[in-house]
Amino acid sequence: MFKNWKKTVSIILPGILLMGMLSGCGKGSQKSSSAKNSITISLHQDPPKLDPMLSSAFVDRIVFQNLYDKLVDLDSKGNIIPMLAEKWEISPDGKTYTFHLKKGVKFHDGTEFNAEAVKFNLDRDRQKNSNRKGELSAVAEVKVVDPLTVQIVLSRPYAPLLSQLTDRAGMMVSPAAVKKDGDKFQNNPVGTGPYKFQERKKGNQLVLVKNPDYWKKGYPKTEKLIFKIMTDSNVALVNLKSGQVDMTNRFPLNEVSKYASDSKIGIVNQPGPGFKGIIFNLKDPAFQDKRVRQAINKVIDREAIVKVALFGVGTPGRSALSPTSWAYDAESDKPQAVDVEGAQKLLAAAGKENGFSFTILTDSDPVSQQACQLIQKQLKAINIDMKIQKQDFGTLLDRTQKGDFQMAYMGWSGRTDPDGNFYSWVYSEGTDNFMKYSDPEMDQLLEEGRSLTDQGARKEVYKKVMQKLNEDVPYIYLYHENNVFGLSKAVKGFTPVPDGMIRTLDMTKE
Amino acid sequence: MVEFPERRSMLSIFIRRYCSNRQAILGAVIVGLLLLAALCAPLLTQYDPVYDQDYSAVLASPGGTHIFGTDDLGRDTFTRLVYGSRLTAAAAILPVAFAFCVGVPIGLYSGYKGGFIDQWIITRIVDALQAFPSMVLALALAAMLGGGFMNAMLAIGIGFLPAFIRITRAQVIQIKNLEYVQAARSIGCSDLRIAVVHILPNVMPTLLVQITLAMASAIISEAGLSYIGLGASPEQPSWGSMLRTAQSYLGTQPWVAFFPGLSISIVVLGFNLMGDGLRRALDPKIKD
Amino acid sequence: MKIIIKRIAAAIPVLFIVSIMVFLMLQLLPGDPATVILGQEATPEAVEAMREQLGLNQPLLIQYLHWLGNVLQGNLGQSLVDGTSVNDLIAERLPATLELAFGSFLVALLIALPCGILSAARPNTVIDHFCTFISLIGMSIPHFWLGMMCIILFAVELGILPASGYVPFFDDPVENLKTIILPVVATGFRESAVLTRMVRSSMLEVMQSDYIRTAKAKGLGERTILFGHALKNAMIPVITTSGIMLAGLLGGLVITETIFNIPGYGKLIIDSVFNRDFITVQSAILVSAVFVVVVNIAVDILYALVDPRIRLGKEGA
Repeated sequence: MFKNWKKTVSIILPGILLMGMLSGCGKGSQKSSSAKNSITISLHQDPPKLDPMLSSAFVDRIVFQNLYDKLVDLDSKGNIIPMLAEKWEISPDGKTYTFHLKKGVKFHDGTEFNAEAVKFNLDRDRQKNSNRKGELSAVAEVKVVDPLTVQIVLSRPYAPLLSQLTDRAGMMVSPAAVKKDGDKFQNNPVGTGPYKFQERKKGNQLVLVKNPDYWKKGYPKTEKLIFKIMTDSNVALVNLKSGQVDMTNRFPLNEVSKYASDSKIGIVNQPGPGFKGIIFNLKDPAFQDKRVRQAINKVIDREAIVKVALFGVGTPGRSALSPTSWAYDAESDKPQAVDVEGAQKLLAAAGKENGFSFTILTDSDPVSQQACQLIQKQLKAINIDMKIQKQDFGTLLDRTQKGDFQMAYMGWSGRTDPDGNFYSWVYSEGTDNFMKYSDPEMDQLLEEGRSLTDQGARKEVYKKVMQKLNEDVPYIYLYHENNVFGLSKAVKGFTPVPDGMIRTLDMTKE
Repeated sequence: MVEFPERRSMLSIFIRRYCSNRQAILGAVIVGLLLLAALCAPLLTQYDPVYDQDYSAVLASPGGTHIFGTDDLGRDTFTRLVYGSRLTAAAAILPVAFAFCVGVPIGLYSGYKGGFIDQWIITRIVDALQAFPSMVLALALAAMLGGGFMNAMLAIGIGFLPAFIRITRAQVIQIKNLEYVQAARSIGCSDLRIAVVHILPNVMPTLLVQITLAMASAIISEAGLSYIGLGASPEQPSWGSMLRTAQSYLGTQPWVAFFPGLSISIVVLGFNLMGDGLRRALDPKIKD
Repeated sequence: MKIIIKRIAAAIPVLFIVSIMVFLMLQLLPGDPATVILGQEATPEAVEAMREQLGLNQPLLIQYLHWLGNVLQGNLGQSLVDGTSVNDLIAERLPATLELAFGSFLVALLIALPCGILSAARPNTVIDHFCTFISLIGMSIPHFWLGMMCIILFAVELGILPASGYVPFFDDPVENLKTIILPVVATGFRESAVLTRMVRSSMLEVMQSDYIRTAKAKGLGERTILFGHALKNAMIPVITTSGIMLAGLLGGLVITETIFNIPGYGKLIIDSVFNRDFITVQSAILVSAVFVVVVNIAVDILYALVDPRIRLGKEGA
């Protein structure tokens, strides 16, 4: 008895575990090194939701480009070009947009893409739990004129509409699939795009296969698209070097210069459309005085931040608009020299010549933390003692939304229309206006920017907006992040677009 | 009250036994050096651990003016290690102090009184706490408390509670029926007095070993939490945070990861050696 | 039999308390999950709708009972982040972690058995001191730092092993072994420390027992005594420790999986903590705790079965 038990134990215990191990193993079958007729792209984050209506993460959009087509698209210069809509007209009052749709387009499930589908999508995107609701808030009604013509009627002129439709708000999902799958649609996405969803392993990879019936004949040129989740960009780089992946959507900033002239790996490094910086809580007594905010703005050394924290891979700036925007005004973005004396005078005028102390909240991204520590040191020069409290991004967002903060390090991924970089942030009712900045003149300017249709006139408006923001300093713009892609030299046909997405349609691998 | 005339000589026996063990002495020396570094940090280095950022010497390799190199903000690694010893010392002391101050009274009560509260509440809660893998518990608690160094200390301290309660309780149950405790009870000492004056001193030796070993594991836990990003604030020179920073540069500047980890290992080894030494010195079964 | 029932009965309130602890702990986490899920672009109405949908507006007790009821029926709930069932998430992540846990355990055994037996066979010699010192080092080196050093040496400098990632065994067995070898060694070395001590002290105790003395007196060879007689009995407590160790590794690989970027159980927990995916964290932690409790019971029962002193006598305090 005694003897047997011991043996049984020593066999059973590991045995059970081994069996669990074996039986639990998945069915995944793809080769470890990426095959020729497939392209493997690493993503820095696992896309949470594959439904454009529910999506709230930047990384979702990269995957979406392949699953869903949009009504209109962007070209590499940021111009709006046809996609599912072959052409469109805008009424003189700027309130009615008429889209003429491409004929013979089918969703991956075989159902027809038509005006009804557009109406279904735009109505769905405007319902209560949709994350697209804000982007389409100007839309009053969507009308089906005939099977291939659809009209969007706005309640007020809204110039950014077309730009919104190049992104998630314009992505068309299959109405039949949504009706069938309901909540499960996000795990079983169906669009009209060049690739169909095949399978995903959460936190690991996502596999898309070629849509053989794609409306653009002869495309896509690659059979399979694999997205591998690699949260650490160094890991992604190692895999790029070994050929496990063909492209990375991030690149370790400290390695960029080293690979400038590598024989196997190419780098695409271009300014992104967003901004990074710090938000003030204007309700906090310390920051109610404009002069205090200006003083802090004056001593921050943006060039040092970009040089040290970003290894020079970024663009120091003072504007919400990056050089990629058509409304970019170089003068209001140009960093000014650090001016400690001027800052001290401003502080003295505000009665704070002896300095004060406050806490900045930051997310756990290493670059944010480095930037905060650099700022901490720079503020020391004017006797300001800044403490750093790090939070995960979710808590940071929650606290800033509730106004439970003094200062926070937070940025914006940016939109291609200038309205997308201003309105939600500095309009007095804006959803990202955590500063609680409220200025009637600013509100009026922002409304004007939305209602004008002429690009030149709009550019002038946003110039004024930025000049005012540089004077009022509710937010300190620090730099524009660059989009840095790593590419195997075997991959051809990648063209960067100002929205920072990866469009794979023309991409091939030798 | 009952005095122990032989206490002094017991102490000297203990010291003699402890010092006869070379490893134990090494442990004590390492721990001593840590405390010394923590106390004299500013004397050991010319730099400031937070504000001396040299933008022209970012991620410098060891040697020259920066003997251990610099970090990603151009701060001297040696300086940060020296100042970091303060956080390490705190990481060793605070969680254990918490677990001791909370756990020992509970263990004393539970073991001495017994009964419903002991059997059904305290023991069960202790069992429940012990069911969590320790890192998972620390992680969840630290996240719940909102991160930061002091919250991490509390999270680790809570994780130590069950061990302190269990050990105290088990010892008390052994001791409480000994003659001298019975005697104290018969002359009318209050329960509190018996627990504190008569039982606690006899539980202490066992606890002392536990304290030292817990300190070793607290340092590793703190480093682990800071490494994940739930510990010290980024500018604080915690050795664990330094490792977190180093993670980004493993492929290019590997030395950034080397020194903080080595420091942690040496100090933890020191505490472990001390704990072993104490155990041997206090264990009557082991002869000189 | 009585012991089995008693053990299981005692475990039920423990599990109950565990479930309350897990639930409350997560309720106290800062950050509103609805905000977290919807992200930076959400409108206030969308957040409110999400709160409603998640049932976050209900009283705590109702939320708890709802969760517990589902868990008891084997339904661990749905991830707040993407709506996948937590059962699936766990099943997906478990193989990697089990493989790591088992591999680490194997490494630990490979170090601990020879070291422990040698030390016990030659107590207080140079060999003994050496082995004891090795186990002390194992206890003192943070395993994540050891992991980092292994990455630097084997992945960066020598380039013979991948720095991180995980390939399932059935996709590619060779790659699989390559990806797990570093994490398994780094973790296994730490686990070996405790095990070495266990083996040593257990062997020493057995070696001093009467029957071994008898065997010695009979003039049996050292080898026969060590491996034929002593080892068998000395293994009982070692197996116990091993069981508990393996159970603890289910959730205890958090940091290892983070450094090596392995999509395992620990990574699931930590990712979900940072994503404020309450349901997933709650259920995943609960499962790992239940696992520990169950293994503990199993070990206690086994102990009782193999050790007549416990079986016949009464339980210790």
